[in-house]
Amino acid sequence: MMSLAARSGAFSPYLQATNYAVAGPLKALIPGVVVKGEKVLVDTKKPFLTRESLNGQSPKTGPAVSVSINAKAAVRFAHTDIKVPDFSDYRRPELLDPKKSSQESSESRKTFSYLVTGATAVLGVYTAKTVATQFISSMSASADVLAMSKIEVKLGEIPEGKNMTFKWRGKPLFIRHRSEKEIAAEEAVDMAELRDPQHDKDRVANPKWIIVIGVCTHLGCVPIANAGDYGGYYCPCHGSHYDASGRIRKGPAPLNLEVPYYEFPDEDTVIVG
Amino acid sequence: MAASVCRVGSTVGRALAKARSPILLSLRRGQATVTYAQSLLGAPETRLSALDNGLRIASEETGHGTCTVGLWISCGSRYETEKNNGAGFFLEHMAFKGTKKHPQMALEQQVESMGAHLSAYTSREHTAYYMKTLAKDLPKAVALLSEVLQSNALSEADIEQQRSVVLRELEEVEGSLQDVCLDLLHATAFQGTPLGHSVLGPSQNARTLSRQDLVDFISSHYKAPRMVLAAAGGVTHEELVGLAKQHFSGVSFEYEDDAVPVLSPCRFSGSEIRMRDDDMPLAHIAIAVEGASAASPDIVPLMVANSIIGSYDITFGGGKHLSSRLARLASEESLCHSFQAFHSSYSDTGLLGIYFVTDKHHIDDMMHWSQNAWMNMCTTVTESDIARAKNVLKASLVGQLNGTTPICDDIGRHVLNYGRRIPLAEWDARIDAVTPRMVRDVCSKYIYDKCPAVSAVGPIEQLPDYNRMRSAMYWLRF
Repeated sequence: MMSLAARSGAFSPYLQATNYAVAGPLKALIPGVVVKGEKVLVDTKKPFLTRESLNGQSPKTGPAVSVSINAKAAVRFAHTDIKVPDFSDYRRPELLDPKKSSQESSESRKTFSYLVTGATAVLGVYTAKTVATQFISSMSASADVLAMSKIEVKLGEIPEGKNMTFKWRGKPLFIRHRSEKEIAAEEAVDMAELRDPQHDKDRVANPKWIIVIGVCTHLGCVPIANAGDYGGYYCPCHGSHYDASGRIRKGPAPLNLEVPYYEFPDEDTVIVG
Repeated sequence: MAASVCRVGSTVGRALAKARSPILLSLRRGQATVTYAQSLLGAPETRLSALDNGLRIASEETGHGTCTVGLWISCGSRYETEKNNGAGFFLEHMAFKGTKKHPQMALEQQVESMGAHLSAYTSREHTAYYMKTLAKDLPKAVALLSEVLQSNALSEADIEQQRSVVLRELEEVEGSLQDVCLDLLHATAFQGTPLGHSVLGPSQNARTLSRQDLVDFISSHYKAPRMVLAAAGGVTHEELVGLAKQHFSGVSFEYEDDAVPVLSPCRFSGSEIRMRDDDMPLAHIAIAVEGASAASPDIVPLMVANSIIGSYDITFGGGKHLSSRLARLASEESLCHSFQAFHSSYSDTGLLGIYFVTDKHHIDDMMHWSQNAWMNMCTTVTESDIARAKNVLKASLVGQLNGTTPICDDIGRHVLNYGRRIPLAEWDARIDAVTPRMVRDVCSKYIYDKCPAVSAVGPIEQLPDYNRMRSAMYWLRF
């Protein structure tokens, strides 16, 4: 029988059925082979994990001891011998008592679990959003480039009646310190005469200083300061005359000189941009 | 054209029916002689009385020539401890090995000469010893039963001999993988509690239970208030009461040290147990949630819900025309070899689940569609599903009671569970009262977003991880 089992190979699981016999308490199946039940069952000293595998210890066919030279040796029991391990170390406190129904605490347990999950999800989404925005915003303009977009000018260095030109964002920036006479003259100008009607008040924050971009609105040349018929600027390319408020008075240009955004952090400084 | 032929045919039929001619009889040959409503109301009443020591007697006089009489005891593996788990089962084996008055041969001769069948079963909460015999042999049957129960010989030699029989039976039951799977389901679902014990008990206990253990078991659990003497067949209640007084008045009703065993609630643990063996051809898998107790009002909606899911076997001929949606899918996609929806209810808890047998490549799909069927029950079950299920359920309830033994078993279990026999008319009324809304609410209460217990035996590599199965117990779309 044993040699037959060895030769049949694939069929041996089915042929091994003949090896099995029932061991009774009064009659040991294989005299001399004392296999104590406790030694073969689950090792109780081994710490149990939440997913405990009784692999290799569970039975298939009946309680029997089989020892063989060229086949597996095994001790088989019944499925009723499988003891579900005690998972008390992992249970929530409400579920430790086996005599208490688990229904009563089910609401609170679920609420707790879902709350923790929900809070973690919200935190996770927020973290992900933060990380993503940090990476994406790194592609926007860097600090040095942003710094170049503003210019800070000390107004004390510009005497009255003088126009200073600065390079700002690749374009000329005119800052002119106007006298009282000029201011009064510009404010008195009648809107009807202007091609691009704008009152002087609307073009300056502080009437002492007129700050405009020095690009002619006709075809883009740089006007000359303190020139022209109106006491302002004169564009030599095609003869556009601007006044001391940067407004077009004579010539082909259609619009007034552009007024950029600027602010006065204090009396003596202006930040344009 | 076909419609007009049918109309002609039916008018002819109706005319003949009115005429009550002999042709009528042959035409009505295939029709039942009793309507469903008549069968409900015509069922004889179950009469219930009690002895002084608390033993209850219940019987239904059906007019048959035979009868089934037995003792139903509320005692089972749930009342056993780890040490004596399997004592009830062992005792059942010892029951027919002879009494003090009749040794085994004499007992067998007595039973055989009457042409009777003497059997017993043990379950988790009930034990029954019953005898099927001719109605006229009732006195002898009751006498034998009382002997078997009260004066069992329990000889040492027989006990030793029965050990190997019990071990052999343990070995046999390993071949019935359905029992193994459902036993393991109980073991994991009710782990750490008496309901987790299997009825058969571990093999170690089969080897070491002694006569004293069995005697202690009898003396602590076979008490009169926990027993019912039930009978169905050609028996009159008065005769039965007289026989009970004669034979069962001596059954004890007091406990030693007044230690009345009280059943404590059993904790249900959402968990799983996987017995993987890739050499087996088929996988047997059961998934269950905690269900309703036997006396709970939710029992009937749950029975209706289970009828909607129904059962299926690969040998069913209905194919894609089966009414249960899960069965249709199982047939068309070859999802499984068989499945059944079950509800085992005990005195204070239960297991509501689906058990299926499938090959190793369809486990994932079958589990998915089973849980899908559950989700449907909790959310979108319709009026037509309910109507069909109600009819199926009513038919099965009536159809099960097709002999004195099923009726007697019904009586015994009902009296132990409910204190009275619930008549078919009452079941019918309770089933009729079920609405789709009720089924949805009750199913949501027991199934929706609850942790299931899963047990699986066989080539179960494809069985999803427990967390996936837990996630399938709710729908995000709701």
